[in-house]
Amino acid sequence: MSKILVIDDEKATLSMFKMLLSVYGHEVLTAENGEVGIELFAAEKPDLVMTDIKMPGMDGLQVLGKIKAMSPDAEVIVITGHGDMELAIKALNLDATDFLNKPVKREDLEKALQLSAERKAFVTDKQDEVQIDIEGDIAVINVMGSLTSKSDVSLNNVFDKAFSSGCHDLILVFQEKSSINGGGMDTLVESIEKARDHKCKVHIAGLSDNFQSVFESMGISSMASMSETEDEARSKVQAS
Amino acid sequence: MIRFSNLSLKNKIFFSTLGVILMISAVIALLARGILVSSLTSELELRGVAIAHSIAERGGGYILDKKYPELLSLVFDEATLGERQHLITYIFVLSKDEEVLCHTFTTPFPENLDKVNPVAEGGYKSVRLIDFGKSSAYDIAVPIKEGLYRIGTVHVGLSKVHIDKLVTTLRITFLGFISFVVVIIFLISHRLAKYITSPIAKLTQVSDELSRGNFDISLDMLSSDSGWDASECPVYHNTDFPCWHFDQAMFKNDRDLTSTQDSQQCRNCHFYIKRAGDEVVQLADSFRNMVWSIKLYRRRLRESEEKYKSMFDSGPDPILVISCVDFRILDVNPRVSELYGYSRDELIGAEFLLLGPESNVECIKAFEEYGGPSGCIYYPKILHHKKGGSAVYVNMHACPITYKSSPSMIVAIADITEIIEKDAQLVQAAKMKSLGEMSAGVAHEVNQPLNAIKMGSEFLALMAEHGRDVPAHQLSEVANEVSTQVDRAAEIINALRAFGRMADFKVDKIDINAPLRSVLTLVTRQFELKNIIFEVDLTEGLPHIVAQDNRLQQVFFNLVNNARDAISEKREKSGLNTEEHIKISTYGKDREVCVRVSDSGVGITEEVRNKIFEPFFSTKEVGYGMGLGLAITYGIVRDYKGRVDIESDVGKGATFVISFPVASSEA
Repeated sequence: MSKILVIDDEKATLSMFKMLLSVYGHEVLTAENGEVGIELFAAEKPDLVMTDIKMPGMDGLQVLGKIKAMSPDAEVIVITGHGDMELAIKALNLDATDFLNKPVKREDLEKALQLSAERKAFVTDKQDEVQIDIEGDIAVINVMGSLTSKSDVSLNNVFDKAFSSGCHDLILVFQEKSSINGGGMDTLVESIEKARDHKCKVHIAGLSDNFQSVFESMGISSMASMSETEDEARSKVQAS
Repeated sequence: MIRFSNLSLKNKIFFSTLGVILMISAVIALLARGILVSSLTSELELRGVAIAHSIAERGGGYILDKKYPELLSLVFDEATLGERQHLITYIFVLSKDEEVLCHTFTTPFPENLDKVNPVAEGGYKSVRLIDFGKSSAYDIAVPIKEGLYRIGTVHVGLSKVHIDKLVTTLRITFLGFISFVVVIIFLISHRLAKYITSPIAKLTQVSDELSRGNFDISLDMLSSDSGWDASECPVYHNTDFPCWHFDQAMFKNDRDLTSTQDSQQCRNCHFYIKRAGDEVVQLADSFRNMVWSIKLYRRRLRESEEKYKSMFDSGPDPILVISCVDFRILDVNPRVSELYGYSRDELIGAEFLLLGPESNVECIKAFEEYGGPSGCIYYPKILHHKKGGSAVYVNMHACPITYKSSPSMIVAIADITEIIEKDAQLVQAAKMKSLGEMSAGVAHEVNQPLNAIKMGSEFLALMAEHGRDVPAHQLSEVANEVSTQVDRAAEIINALRAFGRMADFKVDKIDINAPLRSVLTLVTRQFELKNIIFEVDLTEGLPHIVAQDNRLQQVFFNLVNNARDAISEKREKSGLNTEEHIKISTYGKDREVCVRVSDSGVGITEEVRNKIFEPFFSTKEVGYGMGLGLAITYGIVRDYKGRVDIESDVGKGATFVISFPVASSEA
């Protein structure tokens, strides 16, 4: 049971969100525009904010920026038009938790809700974010928590470890609870470029569809091979 | 006088000369008769008196001495001396007592002769015409005096017959002379009159020939003896040769005098130099020059006529000549038949309305007014019909002319069917491009209802999976929302479809608000997402205008897009995403319906304003926009006889006002 604030200029969308989220047992607050949304956020301190990106007046990105400025740990999921990857990346760069494509699918919504809940738990648990296992030529990096701009030190450490072991292949496994935001992505891209300098192939596994498409549009998939699961990545390594 | 003026010039000269001479002759004759006859008579009288005095002088002594035989011989001597015998009929002497002393009669002394002419006492002489028997004589009586005494009287009888004979001779001689003179004058004046009038008669003959149009013969006749040859003049072979003589009149009219130097003048002009000679020769030369000039002008006229005739016939565009009296076709060029499919025979005499039953009415109306229009009238993009009824779009120019001296109009037609089709294709292409530009926005727009529907159905599915009953109010809310959202999506799709449809050329009477609303349906939300708010103030119940819904949508779409671009440009310059407004209002004004679209964008500079309607003119960067939007807008507005006005303050925005005339109620 958590308190969710939904900001959308579509009344119909708001009422549907309210019904659907109520089924999951959440308390739903709605706001028809960004200004009202921010006021409600300040007043009600909801656990999660879902905001449409395209809105007249203050748009979703502005709402996101303001909320992050007010409370940097706030969980914000942005809702974009289908395939509007540019805006999604922008939102992730602004530290959004996740993004949802319109029309909103139930599974996506559930995943996003779950992700945000887990992330929240993660932040409170303060678990290690990344772990590395050297298996001869293969280095396996497990991403357990959230990759943010703050995680660049630990990410750099594990990559340096991998390079020093002289491995040929590097498998980056995103665990189910893990997530990555814009800052984390920038660090990741730098690390992958470094790996290329060390003639080390990077394989990424365990990413959700949403993030796979984001990685693809950022051009990461051309630098590293993408797989659904760790096993798939391993079989790719053996094949090469 | 009338009879006199009807005489030929020759006869006038002849008769007037003759008349004057005859009058002079008559006066001379009268004068001569008076002077000559009277002086002859008096001279003869004087001679008679002298003879009588001579006898009286010498016979006085014989009378005193009474020597009558001597007296008699004296008398005889005097009477027969020399030629006097013809003149003197008799001489007799009377005594103091009136007795006949002697006489020269061979017959007995006529009775009473001595008594008929007495000399008065103290008189010097007495002359009297006396009649005796068969003849008559002038009796001159002179007294014979001895000192103071009168001793007798001498009577000398001068023969009247002789005197008359002399007078007659004189008369005959004189009349003969005068007659001779008259005959000479007659001949001379006849020749003179003929000499003067024959060139005039010749000129008259030539004029007759000219009026029959025979210019060649006339020139030959006029130049027969002057060494004049028409073919020597350069203008004869080349009528465009700028001869000063030839073109004098023209140059004086429309150029100042200095420019006449431009035109040529032959050093020895063969034609315009007059021969030395009398007035008749001068007249003949003037006449010849005139004929030469007329002839050259006729040639020019003919050449010009041929030129224009060939232009009429071979021009690429159809041209018709229409009578302004009954608006029937008077003449057509071959292109008309080619375009409309009617033969020339079918067209000539046919009504002008045949070609455009609807569209030509306006043209006819314009020319029906008193005096007609002062210049050409242009009718763009009007509908005409070919034979068989198929449509052809034309631009039509109608100009007033005088054709065969009655008011007419010359109608030049340009077939623009193909252009119109191309135009429509271009408009369609621009529209498709606009649709492409819109697609992202429209996709977003359609995504909204889809999202609501999707979420509604997910909610229902979720409830079903969990085996929970959906409360009735939630079920009806979802159902209503789904239905509403489907309608909304359908509306967007309809608006898109209406906008994307290819426009045909049919026009309707429409409410200007309808296409405006359609466009606003499509764009309002997209604009709002860019923080551009529409302020719409549409006047309801406006008079209808003649236009086409689809094409007006294109116009309004272009206008709001332009406004948006102007606002974007302003934002780029300032870097601020401020809330901007586009104000749209419709209103009626002076038989016109207007749409006013104003934005708060960058505005239009003066230099851009002049080019704004040019095709392919764009202030945007290369690759953004074809620059066709406003050109198409302008073209469409003009097609419906509308007008586009622009008001702009640089930096404060621009306002476009589009005005259309109100549809006439009868059409």
